[in-house]
Amino acid sequence: MPIYAPTLPPAPELHQGHPPALVLMRFDLTRLWRQKIGRFFGFTFLLVLLWKVARIYIDHLLQTNQAFKPMQDFAKTILTQGADFQADLLNPASYLLWFLVALVGGGLVARDTLYRVRPLMYAHPVAPKDYLLAKLGFASALPFVILLPFALLPWLMSLLLAGLNGPVWATAPLRLLPAMAISSLLMGSLAVGASSMASTPRAGIGWVLGLVLGAGTLASMIHGLTGIKAVDALNPIMLAETWPQLFVGVDHPMVAWLPAVLGTAFHIGLWTFVAARRTRPSEVVI
Amino acid sequence: MAYSLSHIEGHTVAAFNLELILIAFENLEVRYAASAAPALKGLTLSLERGIVGLLGPNGAGKSTLLKTLLGLLTPSRGSGTVLGVALNGPEAARLRARIGYMPEYDALIEDASAYEQVAFWGELSGLAPESARDRAHEVLYFVGLDESRYRPVSGYSTGMRQRVKLAQALVHSPELIFLDEPTNGLDPDGRRRMLDLVLRVHAEQGTGVILASHLLGDVERVADQLVILDQGQIKAAGSMAGLRKALAKRVELRFLDPLDVTQEAALAELGTVLEARNGLYDLELTEADPGGAFRWAEGRGATLVQVTPRHDRLDEVLLRALHPQTGA
Repeated sequence: MPIYAPTLPPAPELHQGHPPALVLMRFDLTRLWRQKIGRFFGFTFLLVLLWKVARIYIDHLLQTNQAFKPMQDFAKTILTQGADFQADLLNPASYLLWFLVALVGGGLVARDTLYRVRPLMYAHPVAPKDYLLAKLGFASALPFVILLPFALLPWLMSLLLAGLNGPVWATAPLRLLPAMAISSLLMGSLAVGASSMASTPRAGIGWVLGLVLGAGTLASMIHGLTGIKAVDALNPIMLAETWPQLFVGVDHPMVAWLPAVLGTAFHIGLWTFVAARRTRPSEVVI
Repeated sequence: MAYSLSHIEGHTVAAFNLELILIAFENLEVRYAASAAPALKGLTLSLERGIVGLLGPNGAGKSTLLKTLLGLLTPSRGSGTVLGVALNGPEAARLRARIGYMPEYDALIEDASAYEQVAFWGELSGLAPESARDRAHEVLYFVGLDESRYRPVSGYSTGMRQRVKLAQALVHSPELIFLDEPTNGLDPDGRRRMLDLVLRVHAEQGTGVILASHLLGDVERVADQLVILDQGQIKAAGSMAGLRKALAKRVELRFLDPLDVTQEAALAELGTVLEARNGLYDLELTEADPGGAFRWAEGRGATLVQVTPRHDRLDEVLLRALHPQTGA
């Protein structure tokens, strides 16, 4: 037998809270935390990060310790150097990062569709643009936050060990952070667009993986048939790996500047548009 | 300032003060993109603060009307105000912080506890995080979910789920709540408890309530005003008392001897004869005054021995509003 309270206390003050997009993002973070998928990915990314940092130390030893002098030339042939080395810092198992984005991002919108809570959100002071902003923000912030230590820790280590002469350029974060932002936005928009087309989180994961791998396969086929390398800009995985290369000035990036800009704009624009259409109020209430 | 309320098949029902008006709309028409026919066809109505029962069969347009009032659907024609704020106007988003909505379907976040999601909805309505958490406890306690509020709602019974939905509609202390079929799937005891809560919310908080239902008993129990919708049109609207008075002019006349053919034909002077059997005549009187029947009998040489007013039940009111030609 439920016990009913005698009455409700006075109403609290409204319009004191955080912006709706922030509330939505925070709730998604709580959900993600509850899913407990971070253990495997956290362990794997940590191993990759340790390897990146260890390489800085190895490089330092090769440069400074006479005992390793004979190995220097050999090491240069197997370890990336210069701009390639900087770009490689942001390559923490690219496919694994895409998989994590699919796993988390695929359910972001689809879960709300499954539980039918989106119309209820719009019955609150939440505009469709707040909803879209929250989902895009969360899906993009996730890869950005994961990539952040990969850009900053090796740089910090390099500065501490070798100052300005270290293997990581002193200006590397200034080049890597914008590249990370673009790649993350690309991943986030694709995940949210794909998730908006699914009605369950599992289907959302399938949609993200299908779109990423499908676009990549399509780009490879057209490239193979026509010989036009710029078509690779349709491949989201390749685009995400290209942006660090472009910003640090790698000699032969996977995709050139113009196709990369066009391909990224195409993907971000298309999938944001799809997500906006699929989450508008008239879509969710009928 | 007086505000003309609405119509019941041409009858004016009541007039309310503008200060008390919760909702007013004029010539409101809503169309779904997928359908050629409008879902709401030129509705004109205003409702005063209280508990309003929105009654009608499935597909009558009740949910569409609620969604339009919430700003989830844009009217293709007409205008309206909710709590004095124009529908789909620049203030519509802020208005939604003053409204609570309990949807018909299960809009629950299955992987979250009742406490988590009620606090979440409170924050979305504009409460500070700490206030939202405190308020979630209070409102869940109010609806009768005590310790179970920490469990994921996926394990809740139908009654508990309905109460969580009501709690999320109340968490920010709205001035007006829209309840869409709040007793769906509940057993009689659960229905009684839910309706008690609705009555308490109105009585203790002064919250206006719009209760959409196809269950006549629910509306009859709690509502003080009634709107009957069918096929996107208002068939009847007004206060429950006024509505009964306007629609319930039915009387049963008992004569000492059966009337002859001339007298039976002359009964049309009193109103519409709905049924005649063994000296008993069911009539829809033209005038609400039953005394006129005695005067008519005296003038026609008939001996009228009994006039029984037929106090219609709400289901009769509804059926007659929906099917006026049958008089059923």
